[in-house]
Amino acid sequence: MKDKSPYIGVIVLTIVMMLLIGTIAMQPGKQRLLLATTTSTQDSGLLDHILPNFESKFNCIVDVIAVGSGQAIQLGKNGDADVLLVHSPASEKQFVKDGYSTSRTLVCYNQFIIIGPSADPAGITQAANATDAFMRIYQNGTDRKAVFVSRGDASGTDTKEKTIWIKAKLNVVTFSNTWYLSTGQGMGAVLDITEQQIDKGYTLSDQATYYTRKATGIIPHLEILNQGDPFLYNQYSVIPVNPAKWPNVNATLAMDFVNWITSPDIQSMIADYTVGGQKLFIPNAGPGSIAENHLMVSHHRAAVAIRID
Amino acid sequence: MNDLLRTEELTREYDAKTAVSDVSMSVNVGDIVGIMGPSGSGKSTLFRLINLLERPTKGRIFFDGEEISYSRPDVYLIRRKMALVLQKPAAMNRSVFNNVAYGLELRQLEKEEIQKRVDDYLERLGLTESKLRNARSLSGGEMQRMCFARSVIVEPRLILLDEFTANLDPQNISILEKAVRDFVKQEGRAAIIITHNPFQAKRLCDRSALMMNGKLVEIGETWKIFNDPVDERTRAFVSGEMVF
Amino acid sequence: MVDGVTYDVVQVTLLSLYVSGSATILGSLIGIPLGAAIGLKEFGGKGLLKTITYTMYGFPPVISGLFIYYVFSRAGPLGDFGILFTPTAMILAQTLLVIPLVAGITITSVTEVDRNIKNTVRSLGANDRQATFTVIKEAWVGVITAVMIGFGRAIAEVGAAYMVGGNIDGKTRVLTTAIMLETRMGHFEYAVGLGVVLLIVACGVFLFMRWLQERELL
Repeated sequence: MKDKSPYIGVIVLTIVMMLLIGTIAMQPGKQRLLLATTTSTQDSGLLDHILPNFESKFNCIVDVIAVGSGQAIQLGKNGDADVLLVHSPASEKQFVKDGYSTSRTLVCYNQFIIIGPSADPAGITQAANATDAFMRIYQNGTDRKAVFVSRGDASGTDTKEKTIWIKAKLNVVTFSNTWYLSTGQGMGAVLDITEQQIDKGYTLSDQATYYTRKATGIIPHLEILNQGDPFLYNQYSVIPVNPAKWPNVNATLAMDFVNWITSPDIQSMIADYTVGGQKLFIPNAGPGSIAENHLMVSHHRAAVAIRID
Repeated sequence: MNDLLRTEELTREYDAKTAVSDVSMSVNVGDIVGIMGPSGSGKSTLFRLINLLERPTKGRIFFDGEEISYSRPDVYLIRRKMALVLQKPAAMNRSVFNNVAYGLELRQLEKEEIQKRVDDYLERLGLTESKLRNARSLSGGEMQRMCFARSVIVEPRLILLDEFTANLDPQNISILEKAVRDFVKQEGRAAIIITHNPFQAKRLCDRSALMMNGKLVEIGETWKIFNDPVDERTRAFVSGEMVF
Repeated sequence: MVDGVTYDVVQVTLLSLYVSGSATILGSLIGIPLGAAIGLKEFGGKGLLKTITYTMYGFPPVISGLFIYYVFSRAGPLGDFGILFTPTAMILAQTLLVIPLVAGITITSVTEVDRNIKNTVRSLGANDRQATFTVIKEAWVGVITAVMIGFGRAIAEVGAAYMVGGNIDGKTRVLTTAIMLETRMGHFEYAVGLGVVLLIVACGVFLFMRWLQERELL
């Protein structure tokens, strides 16, 4: 076995080299910004549309991690990300309040839509607003005429859905799983599952995921049955992680990102972004924007005052 | 002490039985000693003890005048001075040449030296033609000759042969017995042979011994053991009677 | 992004090979000696250790991912190394899966080597290290099988890679996590295509190893 020694040496060297490559060579000297966002944000393709601008302007690379809202915020709390782009206002405000960030800046908003079968057994096209629509789904659900598919994963979409049930004065915990399916899945999978219900499935979705899937023809039975209620507005904010709590974060580049995404040029890039021919996002960076007021109004009062097209 | 090997009250106990019990014997340079006995009498265990593959429960072993201490980490160096050849040849999954060369490689000899010695032994045992074949493809007799070459090429002072020609045809037996004799007589070593074959004992061994139930019943010059044994059990054994 | 490829499939494939290949090599460097030691030595608790090793064959990749995630998060004990969401973390998580597999199959292989060979090797004067090497060489076919099975496990898993890698485009996206992404986005044909690539790559690696074996280079 006197031949063994050189082989072992070679192998050990290879290992060390490979592990080194893993940490070093993947970073060709450029700065990196770790952006934590939600799966629906990434899947909408918005980031693929605007990030190259940031990367070339600041000569850096943005590493995008797309997870559920809950996990994205947790990444911020654990210092595993530099900046967050999420859409869960309640959790975000708490995040800032707890000191994990020094600022929360509005970026844009889009709208949730209520999806259902063209046959519409629950008749939600006639519903006055989102709350009414959900009430009708509930009534038909308990009558075995409708099924509601829920994200069930504490994501932004899921959180919004839960607040609508609350507004309708219904207790989700009491819902039977014969008609209320809590899936713990991403938006795409939930749409697929809703499609599987053929003529009975309803769900709350974001526009981008719906339009994308509609365009590829895999959800033929589903249509947008109710939209426009300002309560369904979905506010995106950008939140840099507080370097005082996590010194390792790239704070400068994170602030550059905040300023960049709220700058007029990028805000119009966001406005111009389309999926399947549809514009998805309405930019609203800047203090006291109308959309934010809408959300505050509809959260605290059940009245809808102004609609924004 | 001029003994090459000496054992004193060597004992090996297991949970269920005592395999070797109080064996005291000695072997000198130039000796070929035969050990006979019924199956299960502890002969193979005795070999494993002498070859330091197992530790005795009691008793001592002296090799070249020095007592064996099992706690020494280099006890394997003493093992290198002995060789064990078994009844069932165990060929390693490589060529005949590499099998025979293995012991020399362990001792880190020069490549040319290894080449020379291996070729020499292969020739002595009639294996030159099979040099590059995988050892597992050899016949029983060829494999045993290879295993013998493999064991003695490292020039052990003592070789232990455990029924090494059982199941072989007369021609192979003859080749191997001559090799043993040459090895011991011409190069100043010693050998202990376990055999069931009294003819082999008479042909090959200067001294013979009988083991039964782990004990060494009698040991002495071969002709005396066979023609004029001291112990009754020895007499019964060599004459072919059933002995328990 | 409905039809387009927004990332480089070749790069994703190479990263898969790099991550799983490294995990296999690292896992084997640890697993083979470990398995040989357990298989060849006698010691109290040997049976227990063997059982634990075999049980770990079924160690869920997602738990390995969770463990590495927890340990290397900035908030975790080894967070200062900053390797979460890098290929290094993925390699570590997969190595944890490979080690028990390689060790366990090595244990079986070395145990099956003829006892007479083990005794002969010792009686020819091999010390512990030399004897172990020789027995491993006798059990080589089994050992290589262990390595191949270890690689199979690493390249096929998605749970750990997703959790500790984050599926970052251009950095930690491998074939399995890319398939997850494409499915989530509704690009089913593309996901199937990636699946085919994965199968071809895995198959290719095994064929290559068989080829080396036949030429006795392995």
